[in-house]
Amino acid sequence: MSEVTLPAAQRAPEAESVSPGRWVRENLFSSVSNVIQTVFFSLVLLGLLRWVLGQIFSEEANWTSVATNMRLLFTYNYPTEQFVRIWFAAGALFLAVGASFAAWNLNPMVTVRRIGVAVVGTGAVSLVVALISPDTTPSAVRTGFLAVGIGLVVLALAVLKVVPEPHRRQVPFIGMLAGVAVLVCGVLWFFPFGDYGFADGAPTAKSGTIDSSTSLPVTVMFLIMIGTYLAGRALARVIDLGWLRRTMIGWWVIGPAFVVFLVLRDPEFDWGYVLAVDVPMGAAFAVGGAVLLYLLAKPSRSDLARVIGALLVALALFHWVAAFFGWYPMLQKARFSFALVAVAVLLAPTFAGERAARLRFAGGWFGFMVLFHWLLTGINTPSTLDIAAPPFLGGFVLTVSIAYYVMLASFPLGVLLSLARTSKMPIFRVLATTYIEVVRGVPLITVLFFFSIMLPLFLPGGMGISDLAAVFAGYTVFSAAYMAENIRGGLQSVRRGQYEAADALGLTTVQRTAFIVLPQALRVSIPNLVGQAIATFKETSLIAIVGGFDLLRIANSTIPNQPDFLGQKRPALFFISLVYFVVAYSMSRASRNLEERLQEGQAR
Amino acid sequence: MSIADQALTEEMASRRDMIVCRGVKKWFGDFQALAGVDITVKDREVMVVLGPSGSGKSTLIRCINRLEVHQEGEIVVDGVEMTNDMRNIEKIRSEVGMVFQQFNLFPHLTVLDNITLAPIWVRKRARVEAEAKAMELLERVGIPEQANKFPGQLSGGQQQRVAIARSLAMEPKIMLFDEPTSALDPEMISEVLDVMKDLARGGMTMIVVTHEMGFAREVADRLVFMESGDVVEVGTPEHFFTNPTEERTKLFLSQIL
Ligand SMILES: Nc1ncnc2c1ncn2[C@@H]1O[C@H](COP(=O)(O)OP(=O)(O)OP(=O)(O)O)[C@@H](O)[C@H]1O
Ligand SMILES: [Mg+2]
Repeated sequence: MSEVTLPAAQRAPEAESVSPGRWVRENLFSSVSNVIQTVFFSLVLLGLLRWVLGQIFSEEANWTSVATNMRLLFTYNYPTEQFVRIWFAAGALFLAVGASFAAWNLNPMVTVRRIGVAVVGTGAVSLVVALISPDTTPSAVRTGFLAVGIGLVVLALAVLKVVPEPHRRQVPFIGMLAGVAVLVCGVLWFFPFGDYGFADGAPTAKSGTIDSSTSLPVTVMFLIMIGTYLAGRALARVIDLGWLRRTMIGWWVIGPAFVVFLVLRDPEFDWGYVLAVDVPMGAAFAVGGAVLLYLLAKPSRSDLARVIGALLVALALFHWVAAFFGWYPMLQKARFSFALVAVAVLLAPTFAGERAARLRFAGGWFGFMVLFHWLLTGINTPSTLDIAAPPFLGGFVLTVSIAYYVMLASFPLGVLLSLARTSKMPIFRVLATTYIEVVRGVPLITVLFFFSIMLPLFLPGGMGISDLAAVFAGYTVFSAAYMAENIRGGLQSVRRGQYEAADALGLTTVQRTAFIVLPQALRVSIPNLVGQAIATFKETSLIAIVGGFDLLRIANSTIPNQPDFLGQKRPALFFISLVYFVVAYSMSRASRNLEERLQEGQAR
Repeated sequence: MSIADQALTEEMASRRDMIVCRGVKKWFGDFQALAGVDITVKDREVMVVLGPSGSGKSTLIRCINRLEVHQEGEIVVDGVEMTNDMRNIEKIRSEVGMVFQQFNLFPHLTVLDNITLAPIWVRKRARVEAEAKAMELLERVGIPEQANKFPGQLSGGQQQRVAIARSLAMEPKIMLFDEPTSALDPEMISEVLDVMKDLARGGMTMIVVTHEMGFAREVADRLVFMESGDVVEVGTPEHFFTNPTEERTKLFLSQIL
């Protein structure tokens, strides 16, 4: 990767500060029509805000219904004594964020003026809320907003006055982050939110601060993130940055699987079964496959590899035929693994080379198989997800898990479908087009119903599928069709000259696709793919209809049915909207940054 | 003597045939782009192809490495006839380098990766070895310091030199150039032509489609003039620039010179 960092002196200076009065005059009251528009839209905005505040602080809205059910909303029935797993997962995530910031040195400078303006803005909004909130608002809340608003505005204006040349003075982003962390942790530890929960089924409320079992882990998370960043920067002088970056990319690809597994697996995991069946099978495929691939990935053995690959494909197909006639039992993941070995063997001539290349190829297979079996064991061992009601997985954690697994599984499927749809072979084209058009013509909810209710009826005896696995499979099938269309857009943007150059060099079709066409196509598809990830995340709410306890179902039916909060829908619905928004917005911001970075790398 | 072997010196005529086209015909739909082309290119020969726009020059050299598929006639490259057998074609393509008017570098790969990709995956070279070779080639085309940049960060002339290095990294027996300098600003043309002259002096077999008459006069062993998918005239540079036989050749040269 090239480094295109401009030295500080070459950065365009931020525009000279304009006085707020002048800005208002120039932008809001420059002409009669401008004045009218400003006044009109301000009134509309204020009216809307007042209405929303009225909803939030209405006498009917009992916000203790959200406060008390916080645990339910985020983790549903997840056993309290197992929470350490969730915190561990979150810790791993924060660690990765900190390390990535260090690896790519994502530490943009922010001017004091911009921070000041943002703080003044926040303060002003807080003041407006205090002033226009309806009469039903508790006076403590109103006073709080007033105090915070005045405090922020006065503080920020004072800083802007005292610091010379605030539009030049810069604060590193990480410093700002540390400031925010201190603020958040301080509020968590010292602000008297109160502590809510259930004791023997009845809501309890204690005054005072939040329980330290929440605030302590959050504090540790922030410390981990900032600590990793600082450690990473210190190490960057010693170690190879390229290596750190490659490690982090690898972590982001497989790390989430590890984290989700940590969270998702059944607490009453049947370790005996796992050790006796799952682990040996995974090891056999990983090691056996790696050895086979290492032997076959020799340029002189290409023909042998093709023959063995074809035989293995036949064998894999036969396993499925056997499944339908019930000839011999076999775990589904063994059937899938056989199919994957067959495909890998067919690809061996493509990736063949000298010793290092063969080792890399075999090693790649080994890693892939370990991951594959790890994930399947996590979600589909007989002991997992077949637990009798109540389902232990739900709430925000379920929403995130489903969204992540669906995106992960539908990505390769979508890539294959899009390639098939644009291929020269009519049979592939027709099959892929049919699949895509049929799935896109059917509502998601229908697909989910089909998979969770109809599919188990069609399955031959001896083959079962848990509810969650069915939902996951259906959603993946659905999502892959849209994924394929998004990637096809990217494929079409790759110029013909790229294909010709690759052909002229003697690359095979698979090599051309893997090294030239897909990398360019996927880059172009990033905005659409992130859009789809956001949609997938939000539409997980549909799994409520086929029996999952996701955020929406908890807010819409679980909480309003609790004896103490009968009919209380509004606060929880407001709350989950906010959660959805925060996650979706973060994703779209992150994708924008990623796009900019990628463009920077290959400016054309 | 057939038109394909016209104007060969005795020494050249004794050399091996690298490319033989016999009666090559090619249609795009109803439009005939090649109307029975006969050409023989000898080992270590530099052949320059001239002709007005649309005369089928690009189509001809694209048929030679099968980026286009001809419908009639035969094309034999280094003793192998071009047929529909895919594996054969990839082998031929890896022996025939091609340089395009629009460079067609891979924008998502660094200069070094552009050059090493095919040696590593097609020739199955070790990466270290391929990179050493790539640096050598960059040295030869005069831009070793650009190895870690992306194509988008280079000038047109530099990009075209990288494209030439990329083809050379496969150690091809034949190089095809399709108007390699037509998309370049005038001040960059000579840096690319210099690299090509150097190659020709090194004994590379080359077919070059170009409008650079200075290059043709200096480097070409033979010139071919095409019009409407037909080879009109074949001859040495001396023959072409002093005394072409065909009226159409004269007209074309008078317009271009
Ligand atoms: N893919 C195609 N489909 C249809 N017609 C084509 C195609 N490619 C080329 N042609 C036609 O074939 C004829 C010969 O084209 P070709 O590109 O070989 O000409 P050329 O001699 O290289 O011209 P130029 O100097 O403009 O590059 C032209 O009339 C062109 O319109
Ligand atoms: Mg042309």
